[in-house]
Amino acid sequence: MEEYEILLKLDRIEKRFPGVLALKSISLDVRAGEVQVLLGENGAGKSTLMKILAGEHEPTGGTIEVAGRRVSGLTPTLATELGIGLVHQELSLVPALSVTENIFLGRMPTGAFGRIDWKKAHADARHALEALGVAIDPTAEVRTLEVAEQQLIEITRALERGPRILLLDEPTSALSDSERSRLFDVIRLLKQRGHGIIYISHHLSEIPMIADRVTVLRDGIVVDTLPAAEADEETVISLMVGRQLAEQFPKRTVTLGSPALAAEHLAAGHALKDLSFTLHRGEILGVYGLMGAGQAEIAGALFGLQPARAGTISVNGAPVHFRSSADAIAAGLGLLSRDRRQSLVPMQPIGPNISLSWLAGKSLLSRLDLPREREESTRYVADLRIRPASTTHNLFFYSGGNQQKVILARWMSSGASILIFDEPTRGIDVGAKAEVFAVMSRLVAEGASILMISSELNELIGMADRVLVLRGGRISAELPRAEITQENLLRYAS
Amino acid sequence: MTADKNPDLAAEAAENRKARLRGMIFQAGPLIALVLLMAYLSFASENFLTFDNLSNVARQSAFVAILAVGQTYVILTGGIDLSVAAISALAASIAAVLLTQPLVLFGMDFGYVPVPLAVLIGLCVGIVAGGLNGWLISRFQIPDFIATLGTMTAFRGAALLVTDGLPVPSFNAGRQLPEWLIWLGGGQIFGVPVSALIALVCALAGWYVLRFTTLGRAIYAVGGNRAAAHSAGISIARTKIMTYAISGLLAAIAGIILVGRLNSANALMAEGEELRSIASVVIGGTNLFGGEGGVWGSIIGAAIIGVLGNGLNLLDVSPFWQRIAQGVVIVVVVIFDQWRRRTMTRV
Ligand SMILES: Nc1ncnc2c1ncn2[C@@H]1O[C@H](COP(=O)(O)OP(=O)(O)OP(=O)(O)O)[C@@H](O)[C@H]1O
Ligand SMILES: [Mg+2]
Repeated sequence: MEEYEILLKLDRIEKRFPGVLALKSISLDVRAGEVQVLLGENGAGKSTLMKILAGEHEPTGGTIEVAGRRVSGLTPTLATELGIGLVHQELSLVPALSVTENIFLGRMPTGAFGRIDWKKAHADARHALEALGVAIDPTAEVRTLEVAEQQLIEITRALERGPRILLLDEPTSALSDSERSRLFDVIRLLKQRGHGIIYISHHLSEIPMIADRVTVLRDGIVVDTLPAAEADEETVISLMVGRQLAEQFPKRTVTLGSPALAAEHLAAGHALKDLSFTLHRGEILGVYGLMGAGQAEIAGALFGLQPARAGTISVNGAPVHFRSSADAIAAGLGLLSRDRRQSLVPMQPIGPNISLSWLAGKSLLSRLDLPREREESTRYVADLRIRPASTTHNLFFYSGGNQQKVILARWMSSGASILIFDEPTRGIDVGAKAEVFAVMSRLVAEGASILMISSELNELIGMADRVLVLRGGRISAELPRAEITQENLLRYAS
Repeated sequence: MTADKNPDLAAEAAENRKARLRGMIFQAGPLIALVLLMAYLSFASENFLTFDNLSNVARQSAFVAILAVGQTYVILTGGIDLSVAAISALAASIAAVLLTQPLVLFGMDFGYVPVPLAVLIGLCVGIVAGGLNGWLISRFQIPDFIATLGTMTAFRGAALLVTDGLPVPSFNAGRQLPEWLIWLGGGQIFGVPVSALIALVCALAGWYVLRFTTLGRAIYAVGGNRAAAHSAGISIARTKIMTYAISGLLAAIAGIILVGRLNSANALMAEGEELRSIASVVIGGTNLFGGEGGVWGSIIGAAIIGVLGNGLNLLDVSPFWQRIAQGVVIVVVVIFDQWRRRTMTRV
C-alpha cells in the first residue's frame, strides 16, 4: 500500500436543508498532487459539498479534516486561511467592478497611506490572467465581458490566492477547447507542486485528460471512488445514473423546408463582424467558435436585445427589424441565453418560470392558463428529469443543471418555431442531455428550426445538420453533416 | 440491517416534518406576531378585546390597508411609491370640491357636477397620477424613489391649488357631502365598518390579479429578475405604468373613503401615511427588493400597526413613546425577516 499525504478528509458529511436531505453521508479524501474528478447527476449534491468545504454552508453532520487537523465552524474566511479555494458553478463576480477589482476583491495592493496602487493592481491582474493564456483588459467592467471570459476571471481569482486545495465546480461549462486545454495545463502544474484538486464536470471526456481518481455521487452518497484508469465512460455512467442510457444523440433526419431565419452580413458587439446564414424549417444549424469569435453576440443581435451594427435579418423570407425581444417573440422566435442568471426568476417555482415565455404579447389583464402551466410543468419535469420534482420549491433552491433544464423547458414549451439555443446543455448531466436532444429532435420533426450555438464538439457532431465555424467574427467554414468532425471544427476555428 | 434502518427512516421523517413545520412558522410569521400582540393586549387592557374597540381599529386601519395593497404591487416590482398619500389627498380634494362646489372653469360656471361623476373624476385622478409616476420612471429611467419623492410634493401642491389651502367643504359651501359617502367612511354593516370591508375587497381583488393574471406574473418577474422579464418579451414599461396606476387608483379610493370618515377633505390630509403603508408591506414579509411577497401579508402588517397604536393608546402610553415603539417594531420585524431569509437560503 502506497503512502499518500492526505490534504483533506471528509467523514460522513451530512447536509439537510429545510425539507431536503441534500447530502446523506459523504466520505472522501483528497491527496496531495492529485486531481479527483467528482461526478454525479444534476442535484446529486456536488455543489453543496463544495460550498460546505468553502465555508458557505454549515454541514449538519460529519467531520472535516484539513491537513490532518479537524476543523469545525468553517467560514469563508477560515477556509481561505486553510488554503481552500473554490471556483463557483454560478459565477460570483461583481458585474459593475473591473476585472482587476474582481480578481483582488478585498485584497487590492496598496501604497502609501493605504491608497490603492492601481498601476500595480492592473499589472498584477494582467499577469495573473496570462497564466491562463487569456488577454482580457483588466480595466474592463466585468458585465461587459462574455460568460467564458467571466468564468476565466473566476478561475483566476481563485488561483491568485494560491490555494493548497482547489475546488473547481464545472469550470469548463462555458469554455471551448483551447481555453480548456490551457486550464488543464495550469492544473497539471499545480498537481506537480503538490496541490490537491477536486474537479467537477459533466464532460466525461475530460476524465482521461485530467483525472487521477474519480468519485461518483448519487442522491447525496458516495457510490464509488475509482482510479482514473478504471473509469471508462460506460462504468461511470452506470454508477451515476444507476441504469443503462438510451442513445445519447437521438438524431432524426428531417427533410428541410423553406427558409425560416436568415441573416445577411450581420455585425454586432465588438466581436461579431460578418455573419450570413439561412436556417431552414426542420434544421438544426450549429455554430462553433473559440472564445471571442463572435458566437456570443449572435443571439442578442438576432433577438433584438442588442442592436446590430450592420446587416439584415429576415424571418420566413420577409425582412424584420426587432426593436425588442417582444417583437422577436411575436415573430415566432425563442431565445435560450447562455447566461442563465439572465433568464431565471429565482424566487418563483417551476410553473411561472416555464410559462414566462407565454406571456409576451398577451394583454396584461388576460387570465393565466394555470391548467396548461401545471400540465406542461409535470410533462417537462418527467421528460427532462428535473429534480427536485417539487412544484412548490422556488428555483433558487434548484441545482445549476436543474435550473438550466427549467429554462430549456420554458422555450421548448413556448410554441416558438425558431429557437436560438445558446449553450443549451450548459451544466446538464449526461443522462438528461440525451433527453434534451430527444426533445430537440421532436421539435424539429414538428417543423421548428433550431440555431444551436455550442462549444461542445460532440454535441454539434451528434445533433447538427450543418455547422458554421466562426473565426475572428467571420464564418471560416460551413460544414455539411458528413464533414462535421472534431478535426474540421478545431481546424477552422483556430 | 433492517432493524437499524427503520428507526433511521422514522428519524428522517421526523426531521423533515420539523423542517416543514419551521418553514410554515416562518411563512406565517406576521400572522403569529399579530395574534401574540392581540393576546397580550387582551390581558393588559380590558378595553382591548371589545367589539367596539376592534371595529374602531378596523375602521382606522382601513385607509392604510388600502394604500398598502397598492404599495405591495409597487414594491413587488422592485419600486417604491412615496406619493400614495399625496395622491389620496389630491383625489379626495378634487372629488370633495366637485361634490360641494359648482364647477367654475376659465370664468365659466358649469353648475354642480353630478355626484357619481364627481367621484369617478376623483378615481381617474388617482389612476392618472399613478400612471404618471410609472411613465416618468420607465420613460426617463429615474429611480422610483426619486420620481415619487418629486411627484409627492407636486401632488400636494396641486391639492393646495384645488382647495385654495382651505378645508372642503368650507363654511360657505353650497352642497353637502352625500350621505352614502359618509356611510362608506364611518358606517357599518352588522357592526363591521364599511371601510374595513372595502379594504378587504381591495385586498381580494389585489390578490386575484397577482395570482391569476398576466399582470401578476409580470410584476413578480420584473421584480424578481428584470433581465429575465425583458428577454421573455414582457414590457417593463407597461408593467410599471400599470402597477403605479393601480397604486394610484387604490390611493384615490382610500382618500375618498377618508373624506367620508372625516366629513371633510383638505390638501394636507393623510400626511405621512405613505410611510405607514410601506411599513405595512415590509412587516407583511414582502421583499423590499421585489419579486417576493403578497397582498395578505401587507394587510396583516397594516393590522399590526393599527393594533399597536390602539393598544398603546389604551395603555396610556404617551404619543411620543408610541412613535418610538412603532419605529422599533418596524426595525425588529425587518431584522427578523432578514434572519428568516438567511436561514431559509443558507444554513
Ligand atoms: N439552499 C438550498 N435549500 C434547499 N435545497 C437546496 C439548497 N441548495 C441545494 N439544494 C438541493 O440540494 C440538492 C443538491 O444540489 P446541488 O446544487 O449540490 O447539486 P449538484 O450536484 O451540484 O447538481 P448540478 O450538477 O445540477 O450542479 C438539490 O436537490 C437541490 O435542490
Ligand atoms: Mg452544481
